[in-house]
Amino acid sequence: MKKIISLTLVVIMSFIFATGCSKSSTSKDGVEGFDTSNGINVVSREDGSGTRGAFVEIVGVLEKDENGNEVDKTYEEAIIQNSTDAVMTTVAGDKYSIGYISLGSLSDTVKALKIDGVEASFENVQDGSYKISRPFNIAYKKDLSPLGEDFINFILSTEGQKIVVDEGYVQVSTDLSDYNSSKEKGNLTVAGSTSVTPVMEKLAEKYEELNPGTSIEIQSTGSSAGMQSTMEGSADIGMASRDLKDSEMEKLNHKPIAIDGIAVIVNTGNTIEDISFDKIKAIYTGDSTTWDSIEK
Amino acid sequence: MKRNFIEKLMKAIFIFSAMTSIVAIILICIFIFNGGLPFIKEYGLKNFLLGQQWKPSNSPPSYGILPMIMGSLYVTIGAVIIGVPIGIFTATYLAKFSNKKLYKFLKPCINLMSGIPSIIYGFFALTTIVPIIRNIFGGTGMNIITASILLGIMILPTIISISEASIRAVPESYYEGSIALGASHERSIMAIVLPAAKSGVISSIILGIGRALGETMAVILVTGNQARMPAGLTKGVRTLTTNIVIEMTYAADTHRQALIATALVLFVFILLINIIFSIVKRRTLN
Repeated sequence: MKKIISLTLVVIMSFIFATGCSKSSTSKDGVEGFDTSNGINVVSREDGSGTRGAFVEIVGVLEKDENGNEVDKTYEEAIIQNSTDAVMTTVAGDKYSIGYISLGSLSDTVKALKIDGVEASFENVQDGSYKISRPFNIAYKKDLSPLGEDFINFILSTEGQKIVVDEGYVQVSTDLSDYNSSKEKGNLTVAGSTSVTPVMEKLAEKYEELNPGTSIEIQSTGSSAGMQSTMEGSADIGMASRDLKDSEMEKLNHKPIAIDGIAVIVNTGNTIEDISFDKIKAIYTGDSTTWDSIEK
Repeated sequence: MKRNFIEKLMKAIFIFSAMTSIVAIILICIFIFNGGLPFIKEYGLKNFLLGQQWKPSNSPPSYGILPMIMGSLYVTIGAVIIGVPIGIFTATYLAKFSNKKLYKFLKPCINLMSGIPSIIYGFFALTTIVPIIRNIFGGTGMNIITASILLGIMILPTIISISEASIRAVPESYYEGSIALGASHERSIMAIVLPAAKSGVISSIILGIGRALGETMAVILVTGNQARMPAGLTKGVRTLTTNIVIEMTYAADTHRQALIATALVLFVFILLINIIFSIVKRRTLN
């Protein structure tokens, strides 16, 4: 008798679990429309991230008061994710969310919004009509090895910048010269930003092909860690997806190697295509919290 | 002569092995205190522990970690509320009620649970618990409840295995005496055996709390990580551990030191939990 009761209980419990699951999945797929009365789920990057630093400065979320103090006014309810992929996954899975990522990492799983009618494209970043962009920097000590200098010459040559463009970033200048190998040999360590790493890997691959006998090791550690190891000497060249801090600039030379746009992304189910610059700011400072305030 | 040499050599090897872990813990202590204390001294212990603003990119920056301390506290309490009853009842069931066949199946399952990497728990929660919570409560689905459910599941193996062992360690005569006095099987276990295993059960809860407090990779995916004072069960929070992991990659200068100081606070918490654990344990032995 007792066994039968406990058995029925177990069956009922598993049934409840099962229905709970199926209910949630139907309501997720069943509702086709996009309800603009819903709240905006804001997704941001963590404090100190190069992407966030550039984004808040350009959009105006970072405000200066009369004393010259800088205040990052990012909405307190914003979800914080610590990588480009995590932001994309969150936005792809949540219909009412908005986020920002590097333009070079943009994929079909999410939708990039036009800003003031300008599409987030490579051409528009280059001619400056797309407003949200930032430089990718490399930094090195003043006593850089000849091999290191040759590698930097390669990056800033016609061949190097072509790779930058192929990877979906914008070249730093259109006035370029061809690369002439100085036939160096040896090893080079490059460390830093996770955003710069993909393009740096392609550059290193091509450089090793052009200069047999060289080997370039790339460590994807994050901008600040990269600067740190370059200053300490454990890396020859550091990569940063942000401007250098004063303490870093004292010890290191730096050069921009590419320009990257920052795409504002929403779920593919979102009906909004175009957003104004001011409204992005309103969303990220928490002034606009529902989608219908954006649509008008 | 030769034998004597081997004797000495082996002795040295054993001492060296024993020393490795001690040296490691000492080095960790030195690193954490060295890195964290100068910052706390400079910024002020009160400002650091009780400050409600964590805004490292502002100038001047503010480094108050009270939101993260409260966040860790809420999430841990939530995990205890969900995990402890399930854990203790499961342990009681395993030790006293289940038949051999079922036990042979359940026990390896629970052992397997403790071996699953935490990031996998995190992905599981992100793809299943988060959408369910989003449907029920609205919003983002990344909040204290989600994290509590996830951590409640994650501390189960710890609680179950230690509680089960302590229930099994209760002398059989307690149970037999209770039965002899006319109590039923259920009553004997719930009123006599379980209370007798109290200290073991409490230790299991303390270890579970330690696990929940220190958990990072799974929590990072499902709490939303907002660095502000907890604003309700259906709102996101940031815990001490996730604060360190999220910002460490890009942090420089003072920001970096502030994160190491956060690690110091976490370290002190874990130390306190371990001290409480050993006090409880000692009381059992006496």
